[in-house]
Amino acid sequence: MRADDHRDWKLSLGAYALDDLPADERAAISAHLEGCAECRAELRELEGMAALLPLADPARIEAPTVRPPADLGARIEAQIAAESSREGRERRRRRVRLWIGGAAATAAVAAVLALIVLPLDSGENSPAQQVSFASVPNGVSINATLEPHAFGTEIHMYVHGIRSGTLCRVFLKDDNGRTYSAGSFRYRWGNDSDAELSSALDLSQAAAIGVHAGGRTFVAPVSAATALVSGAETDPT
Amino acid sequence: MAALTRERDVREAYAAHSGELYGFAVRSLGDAGLAEEAVQETFLRAWKAGERFDPEIGSLRTWLFAILRNVVIDLGRARNSRPRVAEGGVEPSVEPLEQALLAWQVEEAMRRIGDDHRKVLLETHFRARPYSEVAEELGVPEGTIKSRVYYGLKALRVAMEEMGYEG
Repeated sequence: MRADDHRDWKLSLGAYALDDLPADERAAISAHLEGCAECRAELRELEGMAALLPLADPARIEAPTVRPPADLGARIEAQIAAESSREGRERRRRRVRLWIGGAAATAAVAAVLALIVLPLDSGENSPAQQVSFASVPNGVSINATLEPHAFGTEIHMYVHGIRSGTLCRVFLKDDNGRTYSAGSFRYRWGNDSDAELSSALDLSQAAAIGVHAGGRTFVAPVSAATALVSGAETDPT
Repeated sequence: MAALTRERDVREAYAAHSGELYGFAVRSLGDAGLAEEAVQETFLRAWKAGERFDPEIGSLRTWLFAILRNVVIDLGRARNSRPRVAEGGVEPSVEPLEQALLAWQVEEAMRRIGDDHRKVLLETHFRARPYSEVAEELGVPEGTIKSRVYYGLKALRVAMEEMGYEG
């Protein structure tokens, strides 16, 4: 057998594995396979792939690749930061109730408390929430309090450290990822204490609060929602 | 990465694998919102169980997919136990999950191989067109179509192995 022949046979093995060859060509290759261990081994691998192809949906192959939303990573980080400080929070809450608010919050305090979700009242059943945004640039702090009402949720925003005049659009998300506007405000230097807003989403349904400001979006989880996070941890191993 | 305990580890893991995890979550849950939830929950569980991740046993990617698989099962259960709220609600996937994962891997592998190879496999195999017809359309000899089928399947295998396929 000449080397070129062998190469020709080999290049036909894909079509052979997919059963795409005319009978005569198929017979010739079958004859070659009888005497060629290398091609037989090659064929086994190709047949493995050929057997998988029917699982695939050609429409899905050609569909554009789906990408997670740009802010999902930040949301996950915020949630993990919240979880990671939960233990500390339980201890701290008994000692002192801290209010992170606007100009009063020093950078140090904000850093220590990065994304702690503190109920306003020490009672476990208090539905009001205080949220601090974790994934914000240095020198910036964004905090919010959320209070339940019959109409939805009352929101107080405390922003510090962003450019004066910046438009801030606030929204809530429910645990299906739907977005509910909570209105907008402009941040002004010297007046960074309190913007009052409201959203039609019930606080009990709110999974996250977000702010679009200066071309960026910041999101922090709201612990009132019965999010999936409370599901049992499963060891996959 | 010895374990997945620091927040920075999670960030790196997210940067490396979130695209694929999300792609599979969308494929198996059929809903972008649920898929987001699933990916978020996957990284949260991974972080909580980070101590138990051992790269000696398997890759981070494999581990994350194993967690996602469990999350998707849990989400499916939660969804099925809720009453159907409205029309347009998501129908549960009828495909068994292991098969959905394999199907998604094949589709993802097909997306990763070269354009020429993918095109030829799509036309000849999935659309069952004769090699001669595809050759004419592409302006290449029929033998080239045949060799592209061969190299396409080889490339597919490499892409599958990169995703941890061991069959």
